[in-house]
Amino acid sequence: MQTVLETKNVIKNYRKTKAVRNLSIKLEENTIYGLLGRNGAGKTTLLNLLTGHKFPDSGEIKGFGKTLNKGDSLQEICYIKDNHQFFEESKVIQLLNFAAPFYEHWDWNFANELLRQFELDPNKKFKKLSRGMKSTVGIMIGLASRAPITIFDEPLLGLDAVMREKFYDILLKDYAEHPRTILMSTHLIDEISKVVEKVMILETGSIKLFDDMDTIRNKSYFVSGKSDVVESILKHKNVIHKDQHGKITIAAVFNTMSKQEIMEAEELELSVEGMSLQKFFSYYCMGGDKHE
Amino acid sequence: MKASFDEGQPIFQQIAEMIEDDILNKTYGENEQVMSTTAFAKTFQINPATAVKGINLLVEEGILYKRRGLGMFVAEGAKEKILTKRKDSFYRDYVMKLLNEAGKIELTTDDVIKMIKNGDRS
Repeated sequence: MQTVLETKNVIKNYRKTKAVRNLSIKLEENTIYGLLGRNGAGKTTLLNLLTGHKFPDSGEIKGFGKTLNKGDSLQEICYIKDNHQFFEESKVIQLLNFAAPFYEHWDWNFANELLRQFELDPNKKFKKLSRGMKSTVGIMIGLASRAPITIFDEPLLGLDAVMREKFYDILLKDYAEHPRTILMSTHLIDEISKVVEKVMILETGSIKLFDDMDTIRNKSYFVSGKSDVVESILKHKNVIHKDQHGKITIAAVFNTMSKQEIMEAEELELSVEGMSLQKFFSYYCMGGDKHE
Repeated sequence: MKASFDEGQPIFQQIAEMIEDDILNKTYGENEQVMSTTAFAKTFQINPATAVKGINLLVEEGILYKRRGLGMFVAEGAKEKILTKRKDSFYRDYVMKLLNEAGKIELTTDDVIKMIKNGDRS
Protein backbone atom coordinates (compact mmCIF):
# COMPACT_ATOMS: atom_id res chain seq x y z
CA MET A 1 0.00 0.00 0.00
CA GLN A 2 1.11 3.49 -0.75
CA THR A 3 2.27 5.72 2.09
CA VAL A 4 0.38 8.99 2.00
CA LEU A 5 1.76 10.75 5.03
CA GLU A 6 4.85 10.11 7.10
CA THR A 7 6.99 11.64 9.81
CA LYS A 8 10.68 10.94 10.29
CA ASN A 9 12.30 11.63 13.66
CA VAL A 10 10.00 14.53 14.32
CA ILE A 11 10.59 16.57 17.48
CA LYS A 12 8.44 19.40 18.76
CA ASN A 13 8.98 21.26 22.02
CA TYR A 14 6.93 23.97 23.64
CA ARG A 15 9.38 25.87 25.83
CA LYS A 16 10.38 23.17 28.28
CA THR A 17 7.69 20.68 27.37
CA LYS A 18 8.67 17.94 24.98
CA ALA A 19 5.39 17.56 23.13
CA VAL A 20 6.56 15.15 20.44
CA ARG A 21 9.76 13.15 20.79
CA ASN A 22 11.52 11.63 17.85
CA LEU A 23 8.39 10.36 16.21
CA SER A 24 8.42 8.28 13.03
CA ILE A 25 5.17 6.98 11.63
CA LYS A 26 3.73 6.09 8.26
CA LEU A 27 0.11 6.39 7.25
CA GLU A 28 -1.10 4.39 4.28
CA GLU A 29 -3.78 5.05 1.73
CA ASN A 30 -7.31 3.78 2.29
CA THR A 31 -6.99 3.01 5.97
CA ILE A 32 -8.87 4.25 9.03
CA TYR A 33 -6.56 5.00 11.94
CA GLY A 34 -7.46 5.62 15.57
CA LEU A 35 -5.16 7.86 17.57
CA LEU A 36 -5.39 7.12 21.28
CA GLY A 37 -3.56 8.61 24.21
CA ARG A 38 -4.18 10.12 27.59
CA ASN A 39 -4.75 13.82 28.02
CA GLY A 40 -1.55 15.67 27.27
CA ALA A 41 0.04 12.75 25.43
CA GLY A 42 0.68 14.94 22.40
CA LYS A 43 -2.21 13.88 20.13
CA THR A 44 -3.25 17.34 19.05
CA THR A 45 0.37 18.44 18.57
CA LEU A 46 0.95 15.44 16.33
CA LEU A 47 -2.17 16.23 14.29
CA ASN A 48 -1.12 19.88 14.01
CA LEU A 49 2.29 18.78 12.75
CA LEU A 50 0.87 16.33 10.22
CA THR A 51 -1.38 18.99 8.76
CA GLY A 52 1.20 21.76 8.60
CA HIS A 53 -0.51 23.83 11.30
CA LYS A 54 2.68 23.53 13.34
CA PHE A 55 6.21 23.04 12.14
CA PRO A 56 8.56 20.55 13.82
CA ASP A 57 11.76 21.70 15.57
CA SER A 58 13.55 18.94 13.75
CA GLY A 59 12.74 15.95 11.62
CA GLU A 60 10.80 15.65 8.44
CA ILE A 61 7.17 15.35 7.41
CA LYS A 62 6.27 14.05 3.98
CA GLY A 63 2.92 14.08 2.27
CA PHE A 64 2.56 11.94 -0.86
CA GLY A 65 6.34 11.68 -0.99
CA LYS A 66 6.89 15.45 -0.87
CA THR A 67 8.66 17.07 2.09
CA LEU A 68 6.56 19.73 3.78
CA ASN A 69 8.33 23.01 4.36
CA LYS A 70 7.34 25.63 6.85
CA GLY A 71 4.01 27.12 5.86
CA ASP A 72 3.15 24.27 3.50
CA SER A 73 -0.06 22.41 3.94
CA LEU A 74 -1.35 19.69 1.71
CA GLN A 75 -4.39 20.34 -0.41
CA GLU A 76 -5.28 16.68 -0.04
CA ILE A 77 -5.80 17.02 3.72
CA CYS A 78 -8.97 18.05 5.46
CA TYR A 79 -8.28 18.76 9.13
CA ILE A 80 -11.15 19.16 11.57
CA LYS A 81 -9.83 20.57 14.83
CA ASP A 82 -11.55 19.97 18.12
CA ASN A 83 -11.73 23.63 19.08
CA HIS A 84 -13.67 24.46 15.93
CA GLN A 85 -12.35 27.68 14.66
CA PHE A 86 -15.42 28.52 12.69
CA PHE A 87 -16.70 32.06 12.48
CA GLU A 88 -19.27 32.29 15.26
CA GLU A 89 -21.59 34.70 13.44
CA SER A 90 -21.83 32.52 10.31
CA LYS A 91 -24.77 30.35 9.47
CA VAL A 92 -24.13 26.64 9.02
CA ILE A 93 -24.74 26.90 5.28
CA GLN A 94 -22.23 29.73 5.02
CA LEU A 95 -19.60 27.61 6.74
CA LEU A 96 -20.22 24.83 4.22
CA ASN A 97 -20.09 27.30 1.33
CA PHE A 98 -16.83 28.58 2.68
CA ALA A 99 -15.27 25.13 3.12
CA ALA A 100 -16.39 23.53 -0.16
CA PRO A 101 -13.99 25.26 -2.62
CA PHE A 102 -10.95 24.10 -0.63
CA TYR A 103 -11.58 20.44 -1.39
CA GLU A 104 -11.32 18.98 -4.83
CA HIS A 105 -13.58 16.03 -4.06
CA TRP A 106 -16.22 17.93 -2.10
CA ASP A 107 -19.68 16.45 -2.66
CA TRP A 108 -22.64 18.77 -2.21
CA ASN A 109 -25.20 15.99 -2.50
CA PHE A 110 -23.49 14.23 0.36
CA ALA A 111 -23.24 17.47 2.36
CA ASN A 112 -26.99 18.05 2.02
CA GLU A 113 -27.66 14.45 2.96
CA LEU A 114 -25.53 14.96 6.08
CA LEU A 115 -27.45 18.11 7.00
CA ARG A 116 -30.61 16.04 6.92
CA GLN A 117 -29.12 13.05 8.75
CA PHE A 118 -27.69 15.15 11.53
CA GLU A 119 -30.84 17.27 11.72
CA LEU A 120 -28.95 20.53 11.35
CA ASP A 121 -30.75 23.71 10.38
CA PRO A 122 -28.51 25.23 7.68
CA ASN A 123 -29.74 28.72 8.52
CA LYS A 124 -28.82 28.61 12.16
CA LYS A 125 -25.84 30.65 13.31
CA PHE A 126 -22.89 28.63 14.51
CA LYS A 127 -22.82 30.39 17.88
CA LYS A 128 -26.44 29.36 18.51
CA LEU A 129 -25.64 25.67 18.16
CA SER A 130 -25.20 23.32 21.12
CA ARG A 131 -21.77 21.76 21.78
CA GLY A 132 -22.77 18.54 20.05
CA MET A 133 -24.25 20.35 17.07
CA LYS A 134 -21.04 22.32 16.71
CA SER A 135 -19.20 19.01 16.50
CA THR A 136 -21.53 17.81 13.75
CA VAL A 137 -20.64 20.85 11.62
CA GLY A 138 -17.01 19.71 11.76
CA ILE A 139 -17.99 16.13 11.02
CA MET A 140 -20.07 17.21 8.03
CA ILE A 141 -17.23 19.22 6.53
CA GLY A 142 -14.75 16.41 7.16
CA LEU A 143 -16.96 13.80 5.54
CA ALA A 144 -18.27 15.87 2.64
CA SER A 145 -14.72 16.96 1.75
CA ARG A 146 -13.94 13.35 0.77
CA ALA A 147 -10.34 14.48 1.12
CA PRO A 148 -7.75 11.75 0.44
CA ILE A 149 -6.56 12.33 4.01
CA THR A 150 -9.16 13.40 6.53
CA ILE A 151 -8.04 14.11 10.07
CA PHE A 152 -10.46 14.53 12.96
CA ASP A 153 -9.36 15.67 16.39
CA GLU A 154 -11.97 14.43 18.87
CA PRO A 155 -14.82 14.60 16.36
CA LEU A 156 -17.42 13.25 18.76
CA LEU A 157 -17.15 15.68 21.66
CA GLY A 158 -20.54 16.51 23.06
CA LEU A 159 -22.43 14.16 20.74
CA ASP A 160 -25.06 11.90 22.25
CA ALA A 161 -25.04 8.13 21.68
CA VAL A 162 -27.59 8.30 18.87
CA MET A 163 -25.56 10.87 16.96
CA ARG A 164 -22.33 8.95 17.52
CA GLU A 165 -23.89 5.75 16.14
CA LYS A 166 -25.06 7.77 13.17
CA PHE A 167 -21.54 9.06 12.65
CA TYR A 168 -19.97 5.57 12.64
CA ASP A 169 -22.69 4.34 10.34
CA ILE A 170 -22.33 7.13 7.80
CA LEU A 171 -18.54 7.09 8.01
CA LEU A 172 -18.30 3.38 7.24
CA LYS A 173 -20.89 3.51 4.49
CA ASP A 174 -19.14 6.38 2.80
CA TYR A 175 -15.71 4.92 3.37
CA ALA A 176 -16.74 1.63 1.80
CA GLU A 177 -17.76 3.49 -1.34
CA HIS A 178 -15.03 6.12 -1.26
CA PRO A 179 -11.98 4.65 0.46
CA ARG A 180 -9.50 7.20 1.79
CA THR A 181 -7.18 7.71 4.71
CA ILE A 182 -8.92 8.77 7.89
CA LEU A 183 -7.16 9.51 11.15
CA MET A 184 -9.12 10.36 14.25
CA SER A 185 -8.19 10.95 17.82
CA THR A 186 -10.73 9.99 20.44
CA HIS A 187 -11.27 8.92 24.02
CA LEU A 188 -14.28 6.79 23.03
CA ILE A 189 -12.07 3.77 22.70
CA ASP A 190 -14.49 0.87 22.63
CA GLU A 191 -16.74 2.66 20.19
CA ILE A 192 -14.07 3.06 17.57
CA SER A 193 -12.55 -0.39 17.99
CA LYS A 194 -14.72 -1.88 15.25
CA VAL A 195 -14.39 1.11 13.00
CA VAL A 196 -10.64 1.58 12.83
CA GLU A 197 -8.22 -0.77 11.14
CA LYS A 198 -5.08 0.42 12.88
CA VAL A 199 -4.49 1.87 16.30
CA MET A 200 -1.79 4.25 17.41
CA ILE A 201 -1.23 4.84 21.10
CA LEU A 202 0.70 7.97 21.97
CA GLU A 203 2.33 8.47 25.35
CA THR A 204 4.33 11.52 26.38
CA GLY A 205 5.02 12.37 22.77
CA SER A 206 6.16 8.92 21.66
CA ILE A 207 4.42 6.06 19.93
CA LYS A 208 3.82 3.39 22.54
CA LEU A 209 2.00 1.05 20.21
CA PHE A 210 1.08 1.07 16.53
CA ASP A 211 -0.69 -2.07 15.40
CA ASP A 212 -3.65 -3.61 13.64
CA MET A 213 -6.82 -3.59 15.67
CA ASP A 214 -7.24 -7.28 14.92
CA THR A 215 -3.78 -8.07 16.22
CA ILE A 216 -4.40 -6.24 19.46
CA ARG A 217 -7.74 -7.98 19.88
CA ASN A 218 -6.07 -11.30 19.29
CA LYS A 219 -3.32 -10.62 21.82
CA SER A 220 -5.20 -9.21 24.78
CA TYR A 221 -6.77 -11.55 27.30
CA PHE A 222 -7.92 -11.77 30.86
CA VAL A 223 -6.70 -14.92 32.58
CA SER A 224 -8.20 -15.54 35.98
CA GLY A 225 -8.34 -18.23 38.61
CA LYS A 226 -6.26 -19.51 41.51
CA SER A 227 -3.28 -17.23 42.00
CA ASP A 228 -0.51 -19.85 41.90
CA VAL A 229 -1.95 -21.49 38.78
CA VAL A 230 -2.31 -18.12 37.05
CA GLU A 231 1.27 -17.24 37.98
CA SER A 232 2.70 -20.49 36.67
CA ILE A 233 0.83 -20.48 33.39
CA LEU A 234 1.73 -16.86 32.68
CA LYS A 235 5.38 -17.13 33.66
CA HIS A 236 6.59 -16.34 30.17
CA LYS A 237 3.76 -14.07 29.13
CA ASN A 238 3.60 -10.33 29.03
CA VAL A 239 1.28 -9.47 31.92
CA ILE A 240 0.27 -5.81 31.79
CA HIS A 241 -1.94 -5.75 34.86
CA LYS A 242 -2.71 -7.92 37.81
CA ASP A 243 -5.47 -7.82 40.39
CA GLN A 244 -5.27 -10.11 43.35
CA HIS A 245 -8.25 -10.80 45.59
CA GLY A 246 -7.43 -13.35 48.24
CA LYS A 247 -6.51 -16.58 46.48
CA ILE A 248 -7.78 -15.36 43.14
CA THR A 249 -5.78 -13.45 40.55
CA ILE A 250 -7.10 -11.71 37.48
CA ALA A 251 -4.29 -11.02 35.06
CA ALA A 252 -4.42 -8.93 31.92
CA VAL A 253 -2.15 -10.44 29.30
CA PHE A 254 -0.79 -8.81 26.17
CA ASN A 255 0.58 -11.77 24.28
CA THR A 256 -0.64 -14.23 21.73
CA MET A 257 -2.11 -17.36 23.27
CA SER A 258 -2.52 -20.35 21.03
CA LYS A 259 -5.66 -22.45 21.10
CA GLN A 260 -3.55 -25.13 22.75
CA GLU A 261 -2.42 -22.75 25.50
CA ILE A 262 -5.95 -21.54 26.13
CA MET A 263 -7.12 -25.13 26.34
CA GLU A 264 -4.39 -26.01 28.82
CA ALA A 265 -5.31 -23.03 30.96
CA GLU A 266 -8.96 -24.03 30.90
CA GLU A 267 -8.08 -27.57 31.90
CA LEU A 268 -6.41 -26.10 34.96
CA GLU A 269 -9.70 -24.39 35.72
CA LEU A 270 -8.57 -20.95 34.69
CA SER A 271 -10.85 -18.74 32.72
CA VAL A 272 -9.54 -17.05 29.59
CA GLU A 273 -11.55 -14.19 28.17
CA GLY A 274 -11.11 -11.51 25.58
CA MET A 275 -10.51 -7.94 26.62
CA SER A 276 -12.08 -4.76 25.31
CA LEU A 277 -9.80 -2.20 23.70
CA GLN A 278 -10.63 0.31 26.40
CA LYS A 279 -9.53 -2.04 29.19
CA PHE A 280 -6.43 -2.90 27.22
CA PHE A 281 -5.64 0.77 26.71
CA SER A 282 -5.98 1.71 30.36
CA TYR A 283 -3.87 -1.21 31.62
CA TYR A 284 -1.32 -0.74 28.91
CA CYS A 285 -0.93 2.96 29.61
CA MET A 286 -1.02 2.50 33.37
CA GLY A 287 1.34 -0.41 33.85
CA GLY A 288 3.19 -0.41 30.60
CA ASP A 289 4.87 -3.22 28.87
CA LYS A 290 6.96 -5.15 31.35
CA HIS A 291 7.90 -7.98 29.08
CA GLU A 292 9.44 -6.19 26.15
CA MET B 1 -25.99 -14.49 11.28
CA LYS B 2 -25.66 -12.74 14.57
CA ALA B 3 -25.95 -9.17 15.69
CA SER B 4 -22.74 -8.48 17.54
CA PHE B 5 -19.20 -9.69 18.08
CA ASP B 6 -17.36 -11.20 21.03
CA GLU B 7 -14.19 -9.78 22.47
CA GLY B 8 -11.11 -11.91 22.33
CA GLN B 9 -11.52 -13.32 18.88
CA PRO B 10 -10.62 -11.23 15.87
CA ILE B 11 -13.70 -9.85 14.15
CA PHE B 12 -12.57 -11.15 10.77
CA GLN B 13 -12.61 -14.70 12.15
CA GLN B 14 -16.08 -14.15 13.50
CA ILE B 15 -17.18 -12.88 10.09
CA ALA B 16 -15.77 -16.05 8.50
CA GLU B 17 -17.60 -18.23 11.03
CA MET B 18 -20.81 -16.33 10.44
CA ILE B 19 -20.65 -17.07 6.72
CA GLU B 20 -19.79 -20.71 7.48
CA ASP B 21 -22.82 -20.96 9.75
CA ASP B 22 -24.99 -19.58 7.00
CA ILE B 23 -23.64 -22.18 4.59
CA LEU B 24 -24.27 -24.94 7.14
CA ASN B 25 -27.83 -23.84 7.79
CA LYS B 26 -28.45 -23.55 4.03
CA THR B 27 -28.98 -19.80 3.97
CA TYR B 28 -26.43 -19.89 1.17
CA GLY B 29 -26.25 -22.83 -1.25
CA GLU B 30 -23.44 -23.75 -3.62
CA ASN B 31 -22.71 -21.12 -6.26
CA GLU B 32 -24.88 -18.63 -4.45
CA GLN B 33 -23.59 -15.15 -3.79
CA VAL B 34 -22.75 -14.13 -0.21
CA MET B 35 -23.00 -10.64 1.23
CA SER B 36 -20.43 -8.24 -0.18
CA THR B 37 -17.69 -6.80 2.00
CA THR B 38 -19.30 -3.39 1.63
CA ALA B 39 -22.61 -4.78 2.83
CA PHE B 40 -20.86 -6.43 5.77
CA ALA B 41 -19.18 -3.17 6.70
CA LYS B 42 -22.48 -1.30 6.55
CA THR B 43 -24.55 -3.91 8.33
CA PHE B 44 -22.18 -4.56 11.20
CA GLN B 45 -20.52 -1.16 11.44
CA ILE B 46 -17.11 -2.65 10.90
CA ASN B 47 -14.14 -1.56 8.89
CA PRO B 48 -14.46 -2.94 5.33
CA ALA B 49 -10.86 -4.19 5.54
CA THR B 50 -11.95 -6.46 8.38
CA ALA B 51 -14.74 -7.92 6.27
CA VAL B 52 -12.30 -8.45 3.39
CA LYS B 53 -9.96 -10.34 5.72
CA GLY B 54 -12.76 -12.62 6.89
CA ILE B 55 -13.88 -13.40 3.38
CA ASN B 56 -10.31 -13.97 2.19
CA LEU B 57 -9.88 -16.53 4.93
CA LEU B 58 -12.70 -18.55 3.36
CA VAL B 59 -11.33 -18.04 -0.14
CA GLU B 60 -8.01 -19.50 0.99
CA GLU B 61 -9.78 -22.52 2.37
CA GLY B 62 -11.71 -23.00 -0.86
CA ILE B 63 -15.06 -22.33 0.78
CA LEU B 64 -15.76 -19.18 -1.22
CA TYR B 65 -14.60 -18.17 -4.67
CA LYS B 66 -14.49 -14.88 -6.46
CA ARG B 67 -16.29 -14.01 -9.66
CA ARG B 68 -14.68 -10.97 -11.17
CA GLY B 69 -16.79 -7.89 -10.93
CA LEU B 70 -19.64 -9.79 -9.38
CA GLY B 71 -18.60 -10.76 -5.87
CA MET B 72 -18.07 -13.78 -3.70
CA PHE B 73 -19.81 -17.11 -4.17
CA VAL B 74 -20.07 -20.36 -2.27
CA ALA B 75 -17.76 -23.00 -3.73
CA GLU B 76 -18.90 -26.49 -4.56
CA GLY B 77 -18.23 -28.85 -1.68
CA ALA B 78 -18.00 -25.89 0.72
CA LYS B 79 -20.37 -27.46 3.21
CA GLU B 80 -18.34 -30.67 3.42
CA LYS B 81 -15.16 -28.69 3.99
CA ILE B 82 -16.77 -26.75 6.82
CA LEU B 83 -18.18 -29.93 8.33
CA THR B 84 -14.77 -31.61 8.35
CA LYS B 85 -13.15 -28.58 9.92
CA ARG B 86 -15.83 -28.08 12.54
CA LYS B 87 -15.92 -31.75 13.48
CA ASP B 88 -12.18 -31.61 14.08
CA SER B 89 -12.62 -28.82 16.58
CA PHE B 90 -15.86 -30.11 18.08
CA TYR B 91 -14.11 -32.19 20.70
CA ARG B 92 -11.87 -29.35 21.79
CA ASP B 93 -14.46 -26.58 21.62
CA TYR B 94 -17.45 -28.39 23.07
CA VAL B 95 -16.82 -31.84 24.50
CA MET B 96 -13.82 -30.80 26.57
CA LYS B 97 -15.62 -27.76 27.92
CA LEU B 98 -18.61 -29.92 28.78
CA LEU B 99 -16.47 -32.44 30.65
CA ASN B 100 -14.56 -29.68 32.45
CA GLU B 101 -17.77 -28.15 33.72
CA ALA B 102 -19.10 -31.60 34.63
CA GLY B 103 -15.96 -32.29 36.63
CA LYS B 104 -16.36 -29.02 38.51
CA ILE B 105 -19.85 -29.91 39.68
CA GLU B 106 -18.82 -33.50 40.39
CA LEU B 107 -20.67 -35.23 37.59
CA THR B 108 -19.00 -38.31 36.18
CA THR B 109 -18.62 -38.93 32.47
CA ASP B 110 -21.28 -41.65 32.85
CA ASP B 111 -23.68 -39.10 34.36
CA VAL B 112 -23.09 -36.86 31.38
CA ILE B 113 -23.62 -39.68 28.90
CA LYS B 114 -26.85 -40.59 30.67
CA MET B 115 -28.01 -36.97 30.46
CA ILE B 116 -27.22 -36.79 26.78
CA LYS B 117 -29.11 -40.00 26.10
CA ASN B 118 -32.12 -38.93 28.14
CA GLY B 119 -32.17 -35.49 26.61
CA ASP B 120 -31.98 -36.84 23.10
CA ARG B 121 -35.56 -36.74 21.92
CA SER B 122 -34.88 -37.60 18.30
